[in-house]
Parts: sequence; structure tokens; C-alpha cells
Amino acid sequence: MRRSSPRTVPEVSVVVPVVERFSDLQRLYQDFSREIASLGKSVEFLFVVDGRLRGVVPALQQLQQDAVGEVVIVVMGGNFGESAALTLGMERARGEIVVTLAAYFQVEPRGIGAAFAALDDGSDMAVGRRFPRTDSWINRTQSRLFHSILRGMTGTGFHDISCGFKVMKRRVARELNLYGGMHRFIPMLALNRGFTVCEVPLPQHAEDRVFRHHGSGAYLGRLLDILTVFFLTKFTRMPLRFFGLLGAALFALGFGVDLIAAIQKIFFDQGISDRALLLLGTLLMVLGVQTLSLGLVGEIIIFIHARNVRDYQVAEVIRKPIPALPAIGKSGALQAS
Amino acid sequence: MDLSIVIPLYNEEESVDALHREVTAAAEGLGRSYELILVNDGSRDGTLGKLRAIADRDPRIKVVSFRKNYGQTAALQAGFDHSDGDVVITLDGDLQNDPADFGLLLEHIDEGYDVVSGWRRDRKDKMISRRIPSMAANWLIGRLTGTRIHDNGCTLKAYRAELVKKTRLYAEMHRFLAPMMSLSGSRYKEVVVHHRARQFGQSKYGMSRIWKVFLDLLTVKMLLGFTTRPAIWFGLLSLPFLGGTLLALAVSVYIHTTLLPGMSYPLIFPSITILFAFASAHLLLLGIFSELVVKVGDFKEIEAVLSAVNPGGTGS
Repeated sequence: MRRSSPRTVPEVSVVVPVVERFSDLQRLYQDFSREIASLGKSVEFLFVVDGRLRGVVPALQQLQQDAVGEVVIVVMGGNFGESAALTLGMERARGEIVVTLAAYFQVEPRGIGAAFAALDDGSDMAVGRRFPRTDSWINRTQSRLFHSILRGMTGTGFHDISCGFKVMKRRVARELNLYGGMHRFIPMLALNRGFTVCEVPLPQHAEDRVFRHHGSGAYLGRLLDILTVFFLTKFTRMPLRFFGLLGAALFALGFGVDLIAAIQKIFFDQGISDRALLLLGTLLMVLGVQTLSLGLVGEIIIFIHARNVRDYQVAEVIRKPIPALPAIGKSGALQAS
Repeated sequence: MDLSIVIPLYNEEESVDALHREVTAAAEGLGRSYELILVNDGSRDGTLGKLRAIADRDPRIKVVSFRKNYGQTAALQAGFDHSDGDVVITLDGDLQNDPADFGLLLEHIDEGYDVVSGWRRDRKDKMISRRIPSMAANWLIGRLTGTRIHDNGCTLKAYRAELVKKTRLYAEMHRFLAPMMSLSGSRYKEVVVHHRARQFGQSKYGMSRIWKVFLDLLTVKMLLGFTTRPAIWFGLLSLPFLGGTLLALAVSVYIHTTLLPGMSYPLIFPSITILFAFASAHLLLLGIFSELVVKVGDFKEIEAVLSAVNPGGTGS
């Protein structure tokens, strides 16, 4: 383990998750470390390698020996995905600034100074946006569609959250709790924790211009991820707000349908038993109550765990330092057991 | 420390100085040791700067500043979390509450009440958009929770600290603090307090919160019932469907045996029977599932408070 080395603590930690697509890591390291060094910052690199990709480890060890700065290699036991890889890397990051970088060239190294500058200007996180984009129109259409859905669901206006390049203060990295496919939504999660996030345009790298084709499973997964983020950032503390509204809407719809059926039967003598209208209305009403009751169970769970969860993030506590006073005994105060 | 005064502030730049002046004057007149906890709920104006300035002058002030706007409930909870007093008083940051009422609230706490809540009988707010919805909500809350209070929305309240620290606030539950605290058997008192028209800034609430209040109320109603047996609650919810099942079944049997015996007939009523039966089974199962969830949860704290407040049992 190299993290306990007595050497000076680097200013910047770069976390590179090597979990899927990767290019020449030697070249990636050289280009980006040189660029960060030219900004006057010392840097360490943390390569987190997926269990299936152990083949790159010898090359990384070679890199480790040749490197000027510190290089840490973490090999995961299995295929745990990019979120897990990023979390592992962030946990070991020692720099005040943590950078996440895709394991292949997405952006040109020469533009990244702007992201560091944004942090100096007070942002807690700067996310890269590949702009102008030079890849195929299919990729761009896919991306635009995805981001417009995301915008509608979360109310945030990011243009390129699939870009792996992000610069953040270590505090932010420590608070992100990434799992599953959540690494895609890092900007939203950071915003939700009360951090300031800005977007920095970076020129797209030539090697990123390959045609991307995803299977329909990937799209479905992404949509589910959007739903998760939507739910996590808006309704975690109030499941009934979500399920209750949905359930009430379904119930009202069903009630309306049944009402129409009843009116047709009573006033216009139109039979209801040979049509599916009554059944549809009843089904919707049942569905509404079931949805609502699931929300109630959610509320029970939240209530029980509310004791352990803090609902807010304090930026600072301001208090004029006072000379120590003699402790005042609290009469009748309960001791928490 | 005898007293902690908790004030949530959201974009109250203009009020801060006057608020500090009034609260300090009122609190000093009480003759008790106190601290003033000002919670900056992610204000986007100069509130934080003003707070820094007064905190620098007055060592009794503690400013808790949020990263972003989390809402009044979270702000109050943060105030409770950071308080050291034996009694906690909360009030609005907009000066609509009158700090001169502190003494009245404390009198009742000294008498032995655990929560003393302000009732703004002469409310100085807009009739249509604020007062009428509020009156309707309070009536409904009283009916459904059994804790009949005229004014749940009044922030000016005094609490015995050990009790309020056991009640965890989340989402927008501050409106239901009184019914929720009745869970732990606290004694509750409502007193008429002064209310003043807004001097600075503008109101931060609108009509959009009505459906939220309604859903929250449903939650509270359920939470109040479930501490003992959630299965019963869900069982009650399933009763209409159970009734529907029986009714649809009766109609089906009637059609089958009397109306159209031996003939083919549409399956609509048998289908509805099955649908309703499924729904009631689902609700009953959810109730059993909730029992499980509750069993896993830890109610030792609530029980501890219960026994501390009412050593003799349930009577108040």
C-alpha cells in the first residue's frame, strides 16, 4: 500500500476507473499529468482496475516505476462497475482536489486548466462538457435526447454528464455516495448535497469520435437510472408525495371511468356488463389504492430511520469564541440510552 | 443553559438587525441564561453577512448556516440539534411573531407543560391565500389526529428540550409537530400570542402546498396509528375492498343462479370479484409487511420518553 507513504501530500488526485473501454494508459497519464503539472500543481494518479481487466496491471506497474509523481493501482476483486471504481479511488485520494478522468481520451488535455480555475472561483465541482462536439450526428442525437429527458426530470441543465472529466474539492468526493449507475449523475447528486456545480466546455478529443451504439438494454438501464435520481433527489424524505399523488391520480381516473359507465347505464340504458369500461375503471381504482399504500409503507420506513439520518447539510457554524465557562448542569435532562 | 431561542432565516436580510434587537431585549428581560441560534437556510441575499456581523458582536449567538435551502423543517431540526438549553423557543425570522410573548410561553412550561404553542388569533395575513387554507388545514388536522389545535402553523412555540430532541423532524413535518409529539405523551398547551403584519420582504408560502399538507396529514394519521399495530390500519384500508369483493360475488352468484341460469353471461362481475379480492389481499399483506418493518425499528427512545413523562402510566 502506497497511500501511507511519508512523501508530501499531492495537491491533485486523479482517479481513473479502468472498467470498460480504455486506451493507451501510458499516454493518457503522460498527457494529463504534464498538463496538470504545468498548472503548477503536484499530482497523484489512482488507477482503479476492474477484476476482469487484470491484463493492464503489468503495464500500469511499469508506468508506476517510470512516473515522476505517485501512481496508485487498485485492483478490484470483480466486476463491480464504474461507480464502485470511482468510490474506491476517491476514498484513497489524498489531494485537496479530486479529478475523475475516463480511461480513454474523451477531452483534449490542453483545456482542463479552465476547470481548475472554476474551482478557484468558488465552485465546489466543475464538470466537463465535450464542446464543440465533433463526433457523429447519431451520437449527438442520442446524447441530446438523453439530456433533454434528464433536464425535464431533474430540472438541471447539464449538457454532457457522460463526460468522465470532473474536477471537485475532496470534501465533495467524500460525500458522494456512488453505487449502481449513479456515477453518471454525479453533478445532480452534488447539487442535491448543496454544493455549487458548474459546467466547463472542453474540446473533444479525436479518439472520442467513434460511433457509439448501445443496445436497447443500455437505454432501459439509463432511463431507470434517471428515475432513481429523480426519486432520490426529490422524494427521499417524502415517499407519499410521490406514490400518493400517483395513486390519487389513478384512483380519480378510475372513479371517473366508472362514473361515466354508471351514467351511461342509468340514463341512457347502455349495458355495462358486455363492455370492459367498468372493469377498466375498477382496475384503475384498485391500482391507485395499491400505489398509495406502498407510499404509506415507505413513510413508515422513513419514519423509523429518520432518527439516524440528518436532513440537512451545514456549511458552517459561526460563533464568537468565548472564554471557557464553568459547565452548567442540566437539571432533569434525560440521558439518552 | 436555561433557554435556546431558535430562529430559521431564509432571505431575511432586512429583518436580521431588528430581529436581533427585539429578541435580545425580550430575552434579557427574562432573567435566564440563553443562547440565540440563528439558522441560515441557504439564503441568497445578504442574510449570512448580517448574521456574521451580529455573531461577532454577541457571544450568545450561534449561527448555523446551510449549504442550500432545505426548508423550515430542516432549519428547525438543525436548531434543535445545536441547542443546549433546557427549554427551546422557536420563532419566525420575519418579525411577525412578537418576542415579547416569550415570558408567556415560559410561564406555561414552568407550570409543567411540555409544549406550548402560539395561536395567532388575530392573524395579520391575507385572508384568501393564507388564512382560509390555514383554518381548513387546522380543522382537518384536529379532526384526524385528535390533537385539536387552532394554529399548527405558528412557529412561535416553546418546548422542553429533552422531548423535542427525541422527536425527529423531516420532510415538512414541523406543521405536525404537536400531533407527532403527542406520540410521546407530551402535555400540550395553546396560548394566544401577538401577530404582526410583515414589515420586510415577502411571504415564502403559496397555495401550492395544500396537496402536500393533505398527503402529509395522511402520513401523520397513519404514523400515529401504526406505533402499535400497522396491520390493523391496513386492515381497515382493505375493508372497502373486502366489501366490494362480497358485493361483486353476490351479484355474480345472483346472475348465475337466478337471472340467467344455465346461460352464458359476461364475466364482468366475476372479474371484479377477483380484482377486489386481490386488492384486499394485497393491502392485508402490506399490513403484515409493515408489522415486520416496525418490529425491526427501534422504539426504545419513544418508550423511554413515555415513561419519563408519565411515570404512573397513560393519564396526564
